[in-house]
Amino acid sequence: MRAILPFMVLTIAGGPPALQAQVDYNARLGLTWATALLRDDVIGGIEVRQKLAPTLVLGAALPIAPRYRAGLELAVATSGYQSKQAGAPTVDLGTVRTGSVTLGLDGPVAQGLRWRAGVGLLLYWPTEDRGIFLRGRTTRFLAGAGIDYQRPIMAQWDMIASLRYDFHRFTTEELRARGFSQSQGVQRVAASIGLARGHR
Amino acid sequence: MSLHRLLALVCLASGPALLSCADIAAPSRSNAYEWRRIVGTTIQSFHWPQSRLPVRIWAEDAVNLPAHVRHGIAEWEAAFLYGEFRGVMVSDSSVADVIVTSGIAPPGSFSITRLESLMAPECQGATDVELDATGKVILPPIRVYVDPRFDPSLPGVDECMALTTTHELGHALGIFAHSPNVDDLMYSDPVVTTLSPRDRATAELAYHTEPTLTVAPR
Repeated sequence: MRAILPFMVLTIAGGPPALQAQVDYNARLGLTWATALLRDDVIGGIEVRQKLAPTLVLGAALPIAPRYRAGLELAVATSGYQSKQAGAPTVDLGTVRTGSVTLGLDGPVAQGLRWRAGVGLLLYWPTEDRGIFLRGRTTRFLAGAGIDYQRPIMAQWDMIASLRYDFHRFTTEELRARGFSQSQGVQRVAASIGLARGHR
Repeated sequence: MSLHRLLALVCLASGPALLSCADIAAPSRSNAYEWRRIVGTTIQSFHWPQSRLPVRIWAEDAVNLPAHVRHGIAEWEAAFLYGEFRGVMVSDSSVADVIVTSGIAPPGSFSITRLESLMAPECQGATDVELDATGKVILPPIRVYVDPRFDPSLPGVDECMALTTTHELGHALGIFAHSPNVDDLMYSDPVVTTLSPRDRATAELAYHTEPTLTVAPR
């Protein structure tokens, strides 16, 4: 992934003008919701969950066939995360940032509506190395899909609204060291809205 | 939308959802030892409530105690996954929940539960927990004593002071009993310098069990 990302950026930014002219860009702001990062049982059940996370998404896509495009999407989100045990107060555990890079394909569904599916990497980057992140950040594989709705609002600018679903399996170095086995399936749903610029 | 396109979308969406059913498997923590103080039929157990965190700890500026206490706080904070305990050092002993001093513990009164530790040759420690007349409420501060038996500059004394301070802070956190296992820092005469998985599991259980003692405001 480290090699692919600079390659894509250089290809798009430093490529021939004809290639650049075909690239669609978009920038979006939205919110990401996620299922529990972890479920544990110490006397009673405990759940660790991220709060609703403000999210910035940057995307670029290149046509690869008459109706299909290959794209790269970068998403950065930041939110608090907390633990909750039945009958006990919710405990704020700190702040964690997530950054994802996905390579995907998209194609038409209907007028203005496109599907997207991709795979990538997701980085959890806590602001403090403590608790489940005591041994620092963790990177996980990610798979996801979604839909984009795009509608022209100016000569070269479109409004874009996106809905994304993705899935990854969460664990950390600290959890493995503590004897947690397997990993937690985490599903995320993100809704965002922004501007897209592309060729017509 | 054509049928094959719709099917492709359904597959893309449902595949990850199916994979997401399994959960992470938590460790059993069955290796924890008894942390409560049992006197006759009375069980004394305690942990600092979330509303009192971070626990304020004052250390006497002698025999490297502030550094040992900082280390001890970090060790115990790292024992927990879910923010159950946090400690902070304070410069004013009059607001401290826990006071750590050097020297031998003074003779205790009837209300004091003394958790004595360590028969190591280089140093010794004790923790005093004072209860109110009902025997149900801890009256802060909890007092920790760590005493170097010899010149602190002699080999082994500083290491002994460090592990004894962490051990005594464990008592101040609510681990009122000693581990029967020599590999644990909460063993009565510990030789290890860091918390063992058993120490961590015990601390976790202590902080997720309803305590029989509460703590009065400071």
